[in-house]
Amino acid sequence: MNALPRGRSIGWESDDDSEMRNAAAIVGLLVITSPLCLLRAQAPAAESRSVWDGVYTEDQAKRGEPIYHKECATCHGDMLTGGESAPPLTGGAFLANWSGLTMGDLFDRIRKTMPQSAPGRLTRQQDADILAFMLSVNKFPAGKTELYRQLEMLKEIRFESAKPAPKK
Amino acid sequence: MRERKPKRLDVLLFLFLAGFLCWPVVASAQFHPKDTEWPSYAADLAGTRYRPLDQINAANFSDLEIAWRIKTDNFGDRPEYKLEGTPLMVNGVLYATAGSRRAVIALDPATGELLWIHGEHEGKRGGAAPRQLSGRGLAYWSDGKEERILYVTPGFRLICLDAKTGVRIPSFGNTGEVDLKLNDDQDIFPDLITGEIGIQSAPVVAKDTVIIGAAFREGMTPKSMRNNKGYVRGFDVRTGKRLWIFHTIPKKGEFGYDTWEKSSAEYTGNTGVWTQITVDEQLGLVYLPVESPTSDFYGGHRPGNNLFGETLVCVDLKTGERKWHFQLVHHPLWDMDISSAPILADITVDGKPVKAVAQPSKQGFLYVFDRATGKPIWPIPERPVEVGNVPGEWYSPTQPIPSKPAAYSRNGVSIDDLIDFTPALREQATEIASKFHLGPVYTPPTMSKLEGPLGTLTMGTASGGTNWPGGSYDPETHNVYVYACNSCIEPIGLVPAPKEVSDINYVAGTAGRTVEILHGPGENAGADSPKPPRRPAGGGFVRLDVDGLPLVKPPYGTITAINLDKGEFVWQIAHGETPDVVRNYEALKGLNIARTGQETYNIGTLVTKTLVIAGEGHVTTTADHPRGAMLRAYDKATGKEVGAVYMPAPQTGSPMTYMVNGKQYIVVAVSGGPYSGEYIAYALPSTGE
Repeated sequence: MNALPRGRSIGWESDDDSEMRNAAAIVGLLVITSPLCLLRAQAPAAESRSVWDGVYTEDQAKRGEPIYHKECATCHGDMLTGGESAPPLTGGAFLANWSGLTMGDLFDRIRKTMPQSAPGRLTRQQDADILAFMLSVNKFPAGKTELYRQLEMLKEIRFESAKPAPKK
Repeated sequence: MRERKPKRLDVLLFLFLAGFLCWPVVASAQFHPKDTEWPSYAADLAGTRYRPLDQINAANFSDLEIAWRIKTDNFGDRPEYKLEGTPLMVNGVLYATAGSRRAVIALDPATGELLWIHGEHEGKRGGAAPRQLSGRGLAYWSDGKEERILYVTPGFRLICLDAKTGVRIPSFGNTGEVDLKLNDDQDIFPDLITGEIGIQSAPVVAKDTVIIGAAFREGMTPKSMRNNKGYVRGFDVRTGKRLWIFHTIPKKGEFGYDTWEKSSAEYTGNTGVWTQITVDEQLGLVYLPVESPTSDFYGGHRPGNNLFGETLVCVDLKTGERKWHFQLVHHPLWDMDISSAPILADITVDGKPVKAVAQPSKQGFLYVFDRATGKPIWPIPERPVEVGNVPGEWYSPTQPIPSKPAAYSRNGVSIDDLIDFTPALREQATEIASKFHLGPVYTPPTMSKLEGPLGTLTMGTASGGTNWPGGSYDPETHNVYVYACNSCIEPIGLVPAPKEVSDINYVAGTAGRTVEILHGPGENAGADSPKPPRRPAGGGFVRLDVDGLPLVKPPYGTITAINLDKGEFVWQIAHGETPDVVRNYEALKGLNIARTGQETYNIGTLVTKTLVIAGEGHVTTTADHPRGAMLRAYDKATGKEVGAVYMPAPQTGSPMTYMVNGKQYIVVAVSGGPYSGEYIAYALPSTGE
């Protein structure tokens, strides 16, 4: 767990909030007593995030671009517009397909079935970098942390096609 | 239950003996399917997708509920997200191809219960296949006693099964299989394992002859001007023996060889029949819709008209000899494969009965001929078209353009076609379009240049108009019903091919981008950590949408009813809910936008006694339904929507229908995005609500 999202912390790391400290003590107790609660403790405590919250970095997208072109473009197209046997990875149909699901769902689909010649041949990091490139092409904003390569973390990022109304 | 040859010798032996003892002395018994069954891919050999059933009708369509469903995930070693099959239902059993193994499954048509499964494990040969996954379906044959199922594996082997057990028929070919890479009047190169040739469409069986075409990889950036050729063959359904072959690229001395100048017929490949074949058993004629020759968008290595590329060819069912042909596109440059089944229609033109064949197309023309003679029902004159300036290219100065019916979908791009919800959107779209060469149908590809044009902006080419699902035909009204993508834009630019990529002078690409070699599934397996190619920064990447909205104005996808007696439209509607991206677009809120239809090329239609039925190709999320797609029914007389039922994912295989135990079912294949392949059967509730 070395890639926690920014803006969220696990209770016992907090040292300026007594309520949090109490919570941490309880969480700690539960961690000892129950493996199920360990999972619970690792789930995000802060509000969940979406692809509109800067969930990848520009550098990562740049890393993903050549991998995309090497591994994906032959079927999905140079411009991600798809081909005879592969769906587009940009545009309305793509966004509608995944909207309401999570980045974990999309990542899992890639891990299980892509590239078609040898599913799972790429590393998790390569797949995450390709996803970062896809997000950049689809004009989702870049941020300061890289997109995770852990499925369970990616499941915490909602994929939403519509830009949410500005906060505050 | 999966059938693997070495483990079932006992069963095979039994069946062999049983088959021998039961073999009919004279093969006179004919199989006559009922119109409550669906005995071949398109309902019948005429390609109609029509059944005169009426239990499901306008009054109750929206009451449909799921009778049974079957996921195809486990019919292969990985799930499949592009399930394109249409099942058959005959003699009380439903048959389908399914899953990434292209397994054959037999189901109880009332309950979906699995009766048997057959899978062929092809190893490297399957992994190297140009057309993988479950394909479009299979064929059924019976002489009234014996029943057989025929299908082609991804590795291009024709398999013949006992329809009752799913076990191979040992007397057919070599213990139930015919290796289609052999006995093809050519040596498939480089070898039988990796040699590029396969097929994803369903075989057809007519009068004891199985007819098989061929398919290849997509041809936009092929590695070579040389490729295997897509000949069509007929086989004896009893023995697997080859009966005839038709050379879609003529051999030296054969008719049409001279349409390949500089001996280019010798090395040019592809030119297969990868889509469904249609047969008139009475006339004894077979209709072959032939695809493009090697290199979809550059023909400089194949000067001439290139028969029988993009040609409708009629051959004799018994001999495979050519009876007539009509080339829809001379010297193909636009990937206008004839992509769907020709439709046979007995019509009345100017008071006279005509046996016709109607061919839907990517370019949105419905070509209609007398199917005995090949004479156009309405004139199809040669019209001058733009001649391009790609170095080394050979251009046909004219193309045949039907005078009737009018084009049923867009087949060119003009400024007037661009999005016009608001002046600002039109302005953005015009700016994007200005980077391209525009023009009407048959505007040729250009070289791609950074300073412009990046290419020709086309519609009605590679993915436009009507693709593999084809149309439907209603023998009652003499109407063809056909879905078309009316917004599938294809930028076609050419770039010099680096020598390490291809020996072709120019391949599809965009200036400033590295040319991508088109490698098929399996070809790049094993390259563990590939070295990324160096790419010039920033050049040439142009998004062909306006802030996520389609570049062209609606309707994005249509269904058109065309009356074949008159060659005129009866109705045309937008098919499919307005996409989320349009409905949710901030600047469009408050505008009254009629249903736009959807941009997709794989929608097949079904015609019944009263309805035209087709599912949506896109997922939407609306106030009326959660994320999903709708299966819609239209009054076939008017095109008015009369009902809709929810599907969890888009339609990816064409719907079919049948009756069993007094109940009508509609089965449709859905998949895509996060949803793996599934066949869903809908029927009316057994009891009143």
